[in-house]
Amino acid sequence: MKGGKGSRGRSGGSDRGGIRKKGAAKRVDRDGDLAMDAGSTQGRVKKARGDSSRSVATGPRAHTRDRTLDAIQKAISSNTNSQANVRQGGRGSNLEQVSVRGWKQSKAASNRDGGVESLITFLEKKLNSSDSKAGSRARITKSRVEGDAFIVSIRSELLDRMLKMNGFSFAGAPLTIQTYDPSANGMDQTMLSEVSRNSGAPSTADTKSKMTAILSKRYFQQQKLLNLSKLGSDPDLLAMGIFDSTSTESKFFPALMKVWEMNFDNSTARREAVESVSLADNQLANITVVTTLAQSFPDLKNLDLSNNNFKDSQSLIGWRWKFRNLEFLDLTGTPFSADPTFKDTMLKWYPKLRYLNNTEVRTAEEVAAQKKTPIPVQAPHFQDESQIGENFVKAFFVGYDNNRTDLLNGVYDNNSTFSLNVNTTAPRAQQTETAAWDPYIKKSRNLLKINHLPARMSRSFVGAEKIREMWSSLPQTRHPDIGAHPEEWLIECFPIPGLPDPSGQSPTGVGGLLIMVHGKFEEINGPKVDLRSFDRTFILGPGGGMGGIRVINDILCLRAHGGHEAWMLEQPVVQATQPGQPPIQPPAAPPATSDGYGMPAPGKPDAQVQQEQLVMQISAKTGMTLPYSEMALSGNGWNLDAALKNFEELKAQGQLPPDAFLPGAV
Amino acid sequence: MAPASEDALTKVSTDAATEFVQSFYPALQSNRGTISTFYNQTISMILFNGNVVADGKAVQEIFVNQMPPAHYEVQSFDCQIINQAYPTPTATGLKAPNETTLKDKSILVLVSGYVRFGESRDLPQRGFSETFVLVPNPSADGPKGKRKREWLIESQTFRLVV
Repeated sequence: MKGGKGSRGRSGGSDRGGIRKKGAAKRVDRDGDLAMDAGSTQGRVKKARGDSSRSVATGPRAHTRDRTLDAIQKAISSNTNSQANVRQGGRGSNLEQVSVRGWKQSKAASNRDGGVESLITFLEKKLNSSDSKAGSRARITKSRVEGDAFIVSIRSELLDRMLKMNGFSFAGAPLTIQTYDPSANGMDQTMLSEVSRNSGAPSTADTKSKMTAILSKRYFQQQKLLNLSKLGSDPDLLAMGIFDSTSTESKFFPALMKVWEMNFDNSTARREAVESVSLADNQLANITVVTTLAQSFPDLKNLDLSNNNFKDSQSLIGWRWKFRNLEFLDLTGTPFSADPTFKDTMLKWYPKLRYLNNTEVRTAEEVAAQKKTPIPVQAPHFQDESQIGENFVKAFFVGYDNNRTDLLNGVYDNNSTFSLNVNTTAPRAQQTETAAWDPYIKKSRNLLKINHLPARMSRSFVGAEKIREMWSSLPQTRHPDIGAHPEEWLIECFPIPGLPDPSGQSPTGVGGLLIMVHGKFEEINGPKVDLRSFDRTFILGPGGGMGGIRVINDILCLRAHGGHEAWMLEQPVVQATQPGQPPIQPPAAPPATSDGYGMPAPGKPDAQVQQEQLVMQISAKTGMTLPYSEMALSGNGWNLDAALKNFEELKAQGQLPPDAFLPGAV
Repeated sequence: MAPASEDALTKVSTDAATEFVQSFYPALQSNRGTISTFYNQTISMILFNGNVVADGKAVQEIFVNQMPPAHYEVQSFDCQIINQAYPTPTATGLKAPNETTLKDKSILVLVSGYVRFGESRDLPQRGFSETFVLVPNPSADGPKGKRKREWLIESQTFRLVV
């Protein structure tokens, strides 16, 4: 571990805290500031991620946007949780965007966040150090990652200074810093309208519905496959004129991803809809144009990138930290496959990768072994003879969520101690967005950061009254029900001696319980609900409280949501069902569906959507055309199993005409 | 002894916790032969992921013989005094009230951080939470004339949590 000030390059907070302190007239609690700064940095980065809809729309186009587009954008923003950002960073704000490249080659790139936080710290520090007399501190207002570029927004007066930093060395790698050109990247907010303008479509809504139709033709619900191969020869896309200009071409894919996302009500459904994506045969030399795939499908298991022009690992570098669940990757027919470092690099990038170019590169056991720790995970140790600990924990969290005052009156006394500390940099569960730590950080007693005695004293709360005051300032919480969701909790407990005797009679002290609780809670901030993890240790001793106990110590650590996988007992490895078989096998010819077939649409009854989806399922299973699939279903009371059985019978009897099947299916 | 001021109590406890955290984790990482010196003679409980370990010697044995290289990073920690008049044992029984010092305390320490098992930086960072009860070292001298550790582990509960 590092010394008092937090490790450089991780939170990097000390530098910025120092700078801030210089300008502050009154005495600032340096350490609190540090921590707050680290928290806000995180918030910034978090918001930036997935927020591709933020760039500034300029020119007359902005005024001609119709209501539909506004609605679309609203849908996009609410999906990516970035509405506030879109509003704040709106048109007219005096911000310049700058792209920073080269940081992915730095040593910091191996940080858990890919080095983003260190990079921000570095850039802000350099911006400030070149002009220490400036009244207001230079800040990176907003930032996001686009492929290998890190796009930052800064006040326009900082632009020159920023551009002069071109070539500066960051953690061992030279940075390339340029003004950002949104047209080069296809992430413009107005991409849909532009695609429609350039493709001659009458409206954004029309473009959207055409894209929805294309997606539904290329989506195979049964296989959870989105087949985006050979886009360049897709007759519908050609008809839309997508590839007639490079600018439309570059905007097309991000727009397609947005349309895909908009067809889902919530992110869970969206994530569960697709396990496999094929981008084969698309003449891609790098992933710049398709990089948003990683935002739309972060949990992808199977990815087919075969028959493209990727030359080396650099052409894929933007996906270095993406797709953390990738098991199958096909890069056959790409020059990169012939690279001697190919296999090692891909194994390093994707810890769960099992099949590379249709060859097994890791066994299921090997994947599982990575998670294994040298210390086997055992069931919790719970030694609690008269159920004092169990009853306490059960009552405590219900009380803490519902009536903190009663809880304090019940089991806390004048000598009870409470303090909390926030671990702002804790490892977290995949795809977790961490809410800002503002409600806690000024009370956090992380002794790594809180070095001054007065601050250490004021952040420790002794006596039920002081604790009440403290707790009433903390956000409302909702812990999961221990009985209903035991797996989300890990609770250990054992007796300890030598505790203070409130009666003062036993010079050797009295016995009590040490209880360690790990779990999660929802934090209710108005309409917003944030998920956090916590570790909370209690020491209970005999006392005058309810049940004859009192809380001697209550010490709480808060951290980003980390899930409960870590304490699940290790399970025997389940062998993959079809070892060696590539899971991406799109049916020979996608069934020709009409626009939006099987997808919900305004005015379309749910029953119809369900029927269409059943038809698509039957079609995918049997290889029959949609009309025949529909006949099979309607003739069997829309019962999937009955229809399939019927199909097998008819097929065995040779009663199905050749035109019942999709081309290439038999 | 007169009741200690809040300043003094806070100082002695937070200094103890800081000194402990800043020496114990580096020892787990690169000085495993000294691990047993961090432990008290009498132990309430030592738990690693729910596995009971008997004493400091056994912990050292495990780290020396069974554990791969590990990198620990403490990201946050805090402490509280448990007992302001901890009954520190001496050779002649318990200290008389007039013999006790500011350091006859027991201290609760909660640590949050990550550990990477193995040497490669590409290995996953596993979040851990660890609770210690520290008590004063009753022995007068350190091992073989070395400076003695003032605080020793009386109980320890380690859990991987992420």
